[in-house]
Amino acid sequence: MTNLALAKRIIHWLLLIAVVLYLVTGLGITQFRTVETITFGLLTKSLSFKIHDNLLIPFIILLGLHIFFSLIKKREKGVKDNW
Amino acid sequence: MRKLSKSVITLSIFLSLIIIVINGCGAAKEPEELKSVEIREYEGKKLSSVNDFRENSIKGPQDVEREGYQFRITGLVENPKDYTYEEVINNNQHYKKLVTLNCVEGWSVTILWEGVLVRELIAESGTLPDAKVVIFHAYDGYTTSFPIDYIMDNDIIMAYKMNEIELPPERGFPFQLVAESKWGYKWIKWITKVELSDDVNYRGFWESRGYSNTGDLDKGFLE
Repeated sequence: MTNLALAKRIIHWLLLIAVVLYLVTGLGITQFRTVETITFGLLTKSLSFKIHDNLLIPFIILLGLHIFFSLIKKREKGVKDNW
Repeated sequence: MRKLSKSVITLSIFLSLIIIVINGCGAAKEPEELKSVEIREYEGKKLSSVNDFRENSIKGPQDVEREGYQFRITGLVENPKDYTYEEVINNNQHYKKLVTLNCVEGWSVTILWEGVLVRELIAESGTLPDAKVVIFHAYDGYTTSFPIDYIMDNDIIMAYKMNEIELPPERGFPFQLVAESKWGYKWIKWITKVELSDDVNYRGFWESRGYSNTGDLDKGFLE
């Protein structure tokens, strides 16, 4: 596995984690009674707010990188096909 | 014979008239008061609806019964007092105010509130010099607090009506605090008790869970 492929894989997994966290913490704000019960009080409303707010910029960066790597992959494939 | 029949006819007409009058009087019942409908515009300004709020209380909507409800002023006051719902409303001046509630979740509602001034209620009990903080307690165990200056220097009302209708149970019946210029978590619903304290470090329900103690709208709500 090349360094580029490894970086791509890491980015994709990190983005998936960020998406899941974004959704869960969003629910932790609007449905805090349920989420607090399910997580045994670990994910409180205020913690959800903190994570949700601080996750926006990393999420945008990861999404940008994800799109960038996907475009590179498409380009490489296009070059190979034309060759 | 003819005279007799004339008398019978006259008597019949007279009795019929009496019956009509009696029935007529019975039909004029007192008007029955129907449930009010909220207003959606006030002095040219559009109002939000009572249904525009999101339910985000700590234990869900509370059903406080009017009968048996007691509003208490206690703590560092000269005369701790208990009031019924009617006493709070009937013995105090009413005030109306158009105020917007801004929730930390990102939504807001503009409502015409009607209620009584908290500082006038507190004044009836007499404040002791040591009192620094006003702590509000709710039926569901929720609490929040304010510096006493905020309550005394501003026209802070305890609302019993919104958009000209009585506060519904899910909106905080019997009383909701209209904590203007503060985040929504300071607008305590289902108020049962106001406690004056000297504990300047007191933190309410959300404040003890990481929210700002001042709850100022122009600042962030997380500490």
